[in-house]
Amino acid sequence: MFRLPKSALALALFACAAVGASNSQDYQIGTAATAVEIAGWDIDIRADGKGLPVGSGNAINGEESYEIFCASCHGVFGEGEGRWPVLAGGEGTLADDRPVKTVGSYWPYASTLFDYIRRAMPFTAPMSLDDQQVYDITAYVLYLNDLIGEDFELSQDNLAQIKMPNQDGFFVDNRPDVSNPRCMADCADPASLMIQSSLSGITPIGHFVEGADAPASSHSGQHDLEASKEAERKAAITGEQLVSSVAQKNAVMSAEAIAGEATYKVACGVCHDSGLAGAPKLADTDAWLTRLQQGKEILTIHALEGYAGAKGYMPAKGGRADLSDEAVTNAVLFMVESQQ
Amino acid sequence: MATPSTQQLLQTMQGASEHLSTNDRRDFLRRGVSYVAGAAAVGGATLASATGLTSNLPPNEPQWGRQLGTGVVENPYGLPSRHESQVVRRTVPWLTAESISSISMSPLQDLKGIITPNGLVFERYHAGVPDINPDEHRLMIHGLVDNPLIFTMEDLMRFPSVSEIKFIECPANGGMEWRGPQMEALQFTHGMLSCCEWTGVPLKVLLDAAGVQTAGKWILAEGADGAHMSRSIPMEKILDDTLVVYAQNGEMLRPEQGYPLRLLNPGWEGNTSIKWLRRIEVGDQPWHHREETSKYTDLMADGRARRFTFVQECNSVITSPCPENPIVRKGFLEVEGLAWTGRGTIKGVDISFDGGVSWRPAQLKGLVLDKALTRFSLSTQWQGEPWLIQSRAYDDTGYVQPTLAQLREQRGVNSIYHKNSIHTWQVAPTGEVKNVQIT
Ligand code: HEC
Ligand code: HEC
Repeated sequence: MFRLPKSALALALFACAAVGASNSQDYQIGTAATAVEIAGWDIDIRADGKGLPVGSGNAINGEESYEIFCASCHGVFGEGEGRWPVLAGGEGTLADDRPVKTVGSYWPYASTLFDYIRRAMPFTAPMSLDDQQVYDITAYVLYLNDLIGEDFELSQDNLAQIKMPNQDGFFVDNRPDVSNPRCMADCADPASLMIQSSLSGITPIGHFVEGADAPASSHSGQHDLEASKEAERKAAITGEQLVSSVAQKNAVMSAEAIAGEATYKVACGVCHDSGLAGAPKLADTDAWLTRLQQGKEILTIHALEGYAGAKGYMPAKGGRADLSDEAVTNAVLFMVESQQ
Repeated sequence: MATPSTQQLLQTMQGASEHLSTNDRRDFLRRGVSYVAGAAAVGGATLASATGLTSNLPPNEPQWGRQLGTGVVENPYGLPSRHESQVVRRTVPWLTAESISSISMSPLQDLKGIITPNGLVFERYHAGVPDINPDEHRLMIHGLVDNPLIFTMEDLMRFPSVSEIKFIECPANGGMEWRGPQMEALQFTHGMLSCCEWTGVPLKVLLDAAGVQTAGKWILAEGADGAHMSRSIPMEKILDDTLVVYAQNGEMLRPEQGYPLRLLNPGWEGNTSIKWLRRIEVGDQPWHHREETSKYTDLMADGRARRFTFVQECNSVITSPCPENPIVRKGFLEVEGLAWTGRGTIKGVDISFDGGVSWRPAQLKGLVLDKALTRFSLSTQWQGEPWLIQSRAYDDTGYVQPTLAQLREQRGVNSIYHKNSIHTWQVAPTGEVKNVQIT
């Protein structure tokens, strides 16, 4: 058996204890963050305006930027296109049956708007606007909500002072707010129970209900479903033959186009699959007809350099500056040849 | 028309299912069997032969016993059996405009025990899943601290690690049903819920290293993805149990779950467990960012709204039977479900078969852990009687899961978040299960 003199054992224990004690405070892991590193990432703005960059802007200047960068989803008046969020209106509706929660009707602080636009918008190209643009667009969204005049100069000194209509409409969590005694018998009158059933036809249940006439189970499936219903509807009006999607997919493509599909999926599909931001959908052959007449070269230049058309704003390389020109060119070929 | 015999029905069904894929066939038979169970009393032996080819059944030697299977590393990262391909996350496409800022639900109806496998943990993103190189990922801690710090992933993994089993639930779980039942499946009524073993470092250890100043009462946690998701968290929570985690269920986080680093606020609304965590700033007050003002605030009937509603209150649901798991045989039945509470530990669960008139205690089985999913069970017999089956959980604070009527009376129907009411499944004499609400 292994034996250690008692004194040595005590010493060893003492040493361990000492190491253990200093250990807990003294990992010495990590490096000091420099002021420059912090400044680059410290983007947050607080309700009292702490964190706002030096600068100012106004709604007159914000209008154009808003229309280029925001209106395709949020609507020219902030009314929201399709299922995209509504940014303006809804005052006085919070207690209604169908409340409309917007920047003007619901948000307690104006600072949140600057913070959120800068960190997350425009949706497809976050952190792409400079502070000047963010001030201008913030002013414009406040203006759309009738909270400031069009020539009001919004700045780091007055933004947090703007009193939002619903600033006092919030209170801190006071749950538990209900108390349900643990009753075991005769807890309700069986005769008084009313049973309300689910609405049918809105749950994607095709996976377990045979033959269910249910919505698609994925967003792209839902877009395809909606697109094919739309095609059928059009065909019924015009009497045209429906082009089957299988036939389309089997069409022969050039090697470049096939190579471009991967780029398309990661960088372009986000808008062009669903029609996001006004992008012509890949599957919507009609939408491509007139565009194709410009020729591949022009289309490629528009994709490489960016393009503001009647439908919306196409960012240069889809907002992906990291892509090579070749990858984008191939993606355009994939899109073009998908139309044939 | 004479009623066909059970045998005839089964044969017809099997014939009709030949053209279906394996999984479709399985489901088709399952549905068919429930029809048979309702139409005629059946013996267990006949039913067994309905679920496969007879040539693989006793007394015959099955096909897989007469040949070799695939070898090692055929799938270097293993996959579930191909017969389980229906066990997947699913979304409700009409909820959101597209899939980049959207949600998918865990298939609770198919899960066993309390751990959610990594590939089935529900997803919620606001700007899609970023593809982050862990060597280029950093966590910055600054603000009201003595030593602002930057950690690499390697740094973070040098700290002593802890592993804890905790659930994560989106506070909008069930939120589609405030006004009435909408979803005809458990996956969609309760699937924004998962439970994993998470491994990482307590955030307080990292904050200690940076030296929080006495004025530091809140932190802002921020993600590295395109949404730069940000939430204010009070210091008490961090001193209690907030973790910074890099692994789940034994492997590094999945990209969908924040690879390589996420915050974990056990028992709190999932949105506070910031994924792709890159920055923590210490401050003396909350920030009131978009995700704690415009979203994740609970609008009451009077037009005022609750904010900082962090805790996911005690909740439960029966996972079998449920719409996806109809009762297929008369006789013995184990009713099973899941219960959870963000305030601590589940103390017990009661089950009602009559829409809440009378209740019987269920058993808790397996591990009963703090802020983790807890499985409950009650063995019974079913002879084709119609049921309105419900579960009602209570936790170690004494809080009992409320009825929907109680929640509506307090909050109205526009709060979206935190609907933790007793849920009702209606079991028909055929064994079919429907989502209903009792008013
Ligand atoms: C491609 C569509 C799109 C574009 C373009 C876009 N947004 Fe958004 N916006 C969204 C989506 C989607 C959300 C919701 C994101 C989420 O919650 O995950 C959102 C949310 C917002 C919100 C918060 C709404 C609320 O009620 O919480 C504001 C404010 C906003 N956007 C402003 C802007 C501004 C300003 C611009 C232009 C600089 C812009 N957006 C451009 C899609 C878009
Ligand atoms: C942020 C959304 C978005 C992304 C991402 C995007 N596009 Fe576009 N794209 C648009 C919009 C919007 C238009 C239509 C502009 C108009 O005509 O008003 C468009 C139009 C186009 C056109 C037609 C231009 C013309 O002259 O008619 C091409 C070609 C194109 N995109 C290629 C691409 C390629 C290739 C990618 C990926 C590298 C891509 N897009 C990514 C939004 C996007």
